[in-house]
Amino acid sequence: MRYLFLSLLMVLSLPLGSLAGYREEFEREFLSKPWAGEQMEEDACIACHVAEKMDPKFRNIPQSWKMSIHYQHNVSCHHCHGGDPKDAEMSMSRERGFVGTPKYAEVPEFCGKCHVGILKNYLESGHGKALKSTGKGPNCVTCHGSHKDEQYIKKAHIDIINERLCSKCHSYERAKIMKQTLFLTEKKMGALDEGFSRLKAEGVYIEEEEKALFNIQAEFRTLFHTVDVSLVKERTDEFVKKLEPIEMKVKNTFHELRFRRNFSAFLMLLFAGMGIVVFVLSRPPRE
Amino acid sequence: MKRRNFLRILLGLLGTTTVVTFGYPLVKFLAPPEGESKTRKLVVKKSEIPLGESKGFTFNNTPVIVINRPDKGFIALSKVCTHLGCLVTYERGRKILLCPCHAGVYDIEGNVVSGPPPKPLQKFPVRVEGENVVIG
Amino acid sequence: MGVGRKIRDWFEVRIGLDDFANVQFREFRVPRNVNVFHTLGLVTVVAYMIQVITGILLLVYYVPHPDFAFKSVQEIMNTVSFGWLLRQMHVVGSSLMVIVVFLHMASVFFMGGYRKPREMTWAVGGLMFLITLVFCLSGYLLPWTQLSYWATTVVTSIPTAFPFIGDFISRVLRGGEYVTGITLGRFFALHVSILPLIFLFLMVLHIFFVKRTGLSTPPFGVSSGQQNPWTAYRRETHPDGYPFYPYFVRKEIFMGMLYLTVMFFFITFFPTLFLPEEANTPADPLRTPSQIRPEWYFLAPYQMLKLIPNKFIGITLQLILVAVFLLWPFLDTKKEPNILKRPVLKTVFFLALIILAVLTIWGNYR
Repeated sequence: MRYLFLSLLMVLSLPLGSLAGYREEFEREFLSKPWAGEQMEEDACIACHVAEKMDPKFRNIPQSWKMSIHYQHNVSCHHCHGGDPKDAEMSMSRERGFVGTPKYAEVPEFCGKCHVGILKNYLESGHGKALKSTGKGPNCVTCHGSHKDEQYIKKAHIDIINERLCSKCHSYERAKIMKQTLFLTEKKMGALDEGFSRLKAEGVYIEEEEKALFNIQAEFRTLFHTVDVSLVKERTDEFVKKLEPIEMKVKNTFHELRFRRNFSAFLMLLFAGMGIVVFVLSRPPRE
Repeated sequence: MKRRNFLRILLGLLGTTTVVTFGYPLVKFLAPPEGESKTRKLVVKKSEIPLGESKGFTFNNTPVIVINRPDKGFIALSKVCTHLGCLVTYERGRKILLCPCHAGVYDIEGNVVSGPPPKPLQKFPVRVEGENVVIG
Repeated sequence: MGVGRKIRDWFEVRIGLDDFANVQFREFRVPRNVNVFHTLGLVTVVAYMIQVITGILLLVYYVPHPDFAFKSVQEIMNTVSFGWLLRQMHVVGSSLMVIVVFLHMASVFFMGGYRKPREMTWAVGGLMFLITLVFCLSGYLLPWTQLSYWATTVVTSIPTAFPFIGDFISRVLRGGEYVTGITLGRFFALHVSILPLIFLFLMVLHIFFVKRTGLSTPPFGVSSGQQNPWTAYRRETHPDGYPFYPYFVRKEIFMGMLYLTVMFFFITFFPTLFLPEEANTPADPLRTPSQIRPEWYFLAPYQMLKLIPNKFIGITLQLILVAVFLLWPFLDTKKEPNILKRPVLKTVFFLALIILAVLTIWGNYR
């Protein structure tokens, strides 16, 4: 009787799951308690900008932003535009630092609140000087886009330099030379990025090297914003040299992973061999 | 019984190989690492860094900045920003360390003042011995 | 030859080595119809010893503090010579040990080895299984990765289903409201000293019971009439069985080698099977990963809890199942020792195994 009861218990407990809402109940009970750590923040900016009442041209902004690299790094509306995201009434208040949409010529300082190094180089460049003196010229949004018109800011890459974009004010020739100068270094950095992903997939944690690469990438791309081809040419070697130790480390790590695999395979074969020998030995001897 | 003897010898050989294959890593695992445990010390002359100024060095493959703080003496901080790895620069006027990539700001103790960095800058032990400042 | 003989004589004069070896190994006999499943007990001991040895060696470099735990494990993996080998053995070994313990229990159950007079052996063994699971749970937190942190958060919240004492239990487990360095400290103490001592004690007890009562005969092929009723103590010997050495010892060594081969198979070809990306990311209390799942051996109870809408009933049910499992020899009163002749129990047994497998796979893909 006892095991009958037991088996009935087990079998009957399954249909109980057919009651709707079990998944939500579990998630609610287990995962969204305050101890889970992550607080679902009330973001007043997003709350209004996705509402039905909002003007369509503003309503698409949160969606575009969610595709961007800023979103991936937890950079939110108030980080750039100011205001108070926790308080709907003060979300667009000047008192809380709200600056609204920057004017065309003020965009570099707007982005430069965080991207300090790039702003410095940009202002010294031909592009920056043109913008500041004539009010015409490329600002950050010209090349990198924004969350307007269903665009979004992607991770920077060399193909931002292209004929369509760079021939708006002058011939593409100069931009082409710049792109060629950048090309080799960018390619090496891309290869390293890929090497890092492969290493991560194999379980190796390489934070120090990732940081070093990020620093070199950032320095290199900041340098580009001077749009000074001779300067970039001059310093390209310096950057390639800086990349070398990281490349070496990545190569060595792959080498090490191969060694580990061979070593454990060898041990596996040893044990398998001993198992087979013992098995054969353990058969009753023919009397 | 020749086969059984052969098998016995084979087993012995495999067993010995296994023991050695584990023994060697075991010894290397427990042995102290060669040379790396010797933290090389960086010695800098006090006169190289006037009051309020700073100087950059490389220590243990990390870029390091040594600041001669006006009130608290020397401090050695890693220049690697704890956000994504860019190198910070010392702004003497504002007495801060600024990261040019995303405007992370640290005070001259290395603590985060504003911006995205999650942790303070790594600090290195500093001793003043006579005319020298010894880091590490 | 000469030297070997001399050494043996030296011991023989002092402790009667020959006599001891004879009694324990040559005269000690195993039933004729013994099979490889009987070696699983020893394979478990081998698995446990591997965990202990690799664990102690890892202890040389591991630092149990939230600021250093992750980094120390990474150093073991990347900087220390052959640290990776020990860590991999420990990680793969923990999952394999759970499998071996489970197979051992399932085969003992199947062969009726829990029946009178071996009820205590079964109960102690069941406790050892539970301790193994606690070992796994506590060890899992130690590398302080995203996976560790969040899986521990979920599991230590399960006691909150109990009214009144649930929250208290949860807080005691965590050493606070949340999983913190305090949790790490107590899990570390558990994993490294408290549990090994308890397990060792239980193991000694278990082996004592096994030896004292004698090995059970598998019931297959033996008619139930031949079983003498157990009324007074006697050690079950098998006068017409095979000698323990070399017959059974060779079987045990073979199984041991098989275990190690499987372990190294995983280490060679699937080194990241138990170490997904989240297991290589340091714990971040502010960022919950999208998929929190416990380790595979907890997937079945986890899935069962998810299926039962009321948390309290779910956990109580599982506790009842555990109690039934531990006390099964006292609940099973039928005289027939051969499970193949007991269709209801046989069906329940296989049904239970299938449900466990289904729940585990379901829990993995849900």
